Amino acid sequence: MSDLITLEDLIEEFQDVEDKMERLEMVFELSEEVDFLEIEHWNDLTRVRGCQSEAHVLVSIEDDLVNLKAGADSKLVQGLMGILTIALRDISPSKALELTPEFASEMGILNSLSPSRSNGFRNMFDKVMEEIKEKM
Amino acid sequence: MREQFPILQREVNGYPLVYLDNAATTQKPQVVIDAMNDYYSNSNANVHRAIHTLAGEATDGYEACRTTLKKRFNAEKVIITGGTTEAINLVAHAWGKANLSSGDVVVLTEMEHHSDIVPWQMLAKELKIELRYVPVKEDLTLDMEIFEASLEDAKLVCVVHISNVLGVCNPVEKIISLAKQNGARVLLDAAQSVPHQSVDFQEIGADFMAFSAHKMCGPTGIGALLVANDVFQQMEPFMGGGDMIETVSIHGSTYQTNEHKFEAGTPKIAEAIGWNAALQWMDSIDLESEHSRLLGLARWLSQELRSMGMTVYGRHDDNDAAVVSFLHPTMNSEDLAHLLDARGFAVRTGHHCAQPLLERLNITGTVRASLYFYNTKEEVENFVKHVSEILERFA
Repeated sequence: MSDLITLEDLIEEFQDVEDKMERLEMVFELSEEVDFLEIEHWNDLTRVRGCQSEAHVLVSIEDDLVNLKAGADSKLVQGLMGILTIALRDISPSKALELTPEFASEMGILNSLSPSRSNGFRNMFDKVMEEIKEKM
Repeated sequence: MREQFPILQREVNGYPLVYLDNAATTQKPQVVIDAMNDYYSNSNANVHRAIHTLAGEATDGYEACRTTLKKRFNAEKVIITGGTTEAINLVAHAWGKANLSSGDVVVLTEMEHHSDIVPWQMLAKELKIELRYVPVKEDLTLDMEIFEASLEDAKLVCVVHISNVLGVCNPVEKIISLAKQNGARVLLDAAQSVPHQSVDFQEIGADFMAFSAHKMCGPTGIGALLVANDVFQQMEPFMGGGDMIETVSIHGSTYQTNEHKFEAGTPKIAEAIGWNAALQWMDSIDLESEHSRLLGLARWLSQELRSMGMTVYGRHDDNDAAVVSFLHPTMNSEDLAHLLDARGFAVRTGHHCAQPLLERLNITGTVRASLYFYNTKEEVENFVKHVSEILERFA
């Protein structure tokens, strides 16, 4: 998927797909959107709790823009991180804090993932938002 | 048989449900659902004390479950619990606290479910008892030499009959015999064995045996602790309240002397009635021939998965359960499980509440397919076909 894709485009694309496996495949592809946090930087501070897989995020703020680095041992989790990366792209910290995790529901992602995975997504979302708040 | 299980008629994500998560919980036949529905529709009342008709029916239904359990497992004392976990915790509190003290040894194995580890770790912290863990060898069996050596000064041995991860059936007759020779009591975690095989509690010789209804076509939230007669007398009440007392005054209380002593509060009445229906339904199953059929399917499945490059964690010997735990060298196990779910297959992933065992195997989780009576050869063949397709498309 191209760098130009927006969250609105993604929501429309996902809503057009009926088959769960195809939606999962799309999430897998979005793992490429992540600015990868190298494994050697994974630690307790970066770990997303409540996620069955190993999932790590690191938030920084540069030039009043949110920068998210992330990584996971599951393509699906990393795909979810890719969606979050797109949602946060080129926006200010205060704008980022206006985001809610509802966009994942609108895309049918939360419906297509297990409750534990959905909780993992929400935990990841909450952790990123908390870090933005701390670093503002 | 499948038509007796209403849930097996449904579709998941547009595909027929193929339920392969039976080691976690089994599906329920219509007779179980009907029995519980009938209780709530026609006989709902609290048990034991009231004299009205409904209370009599509820009491008879509840106690009939205990009677069936006693007969099925040849046990004299059957305490109805909330499940295997609660049963093990009951042993820790009701027997452990009254009979163990600082320096005493409890022997566990690396193959135990967390339910048979954590209560003992909690007790060890409280009573300063020593826990010794019997390691699992590379061939996925318990190290019996270390087990024998661990028995010195042991007061209790806690062992899982069949591993929920590996399906390996432990040599519990030998373990119990060695423990007895050394004067130790034995707690058998039979959660994964009694759904698949007949177990005679008195013949096998354990002091405690714990298991759950929901892994044998019964409802969730109920299980049992079988207790040998002499050990029963050494147990002190764990929870206080209604039903477990004989008399209560402001100066003190006296307790029941039978199993009710350990069943404080309103018990699991509907669940007991449902479990009794499940146990009676299981009487129509030839466990030996079903075990042989399912083990054959598990062996074939293991072979097919290995041919696709999977590592299979299990040996599938004659007494082992039809549980197939596996991992692909590159595809994340949860990703694979999600993709399988997209085609209607229900499998388990993760550590299966047995992290010490997985640590021993140097892995953090597996995909687990576990079979039960209603699974067919066609379903397993279909599973293999879809795993293969998923690997071709995504691996």
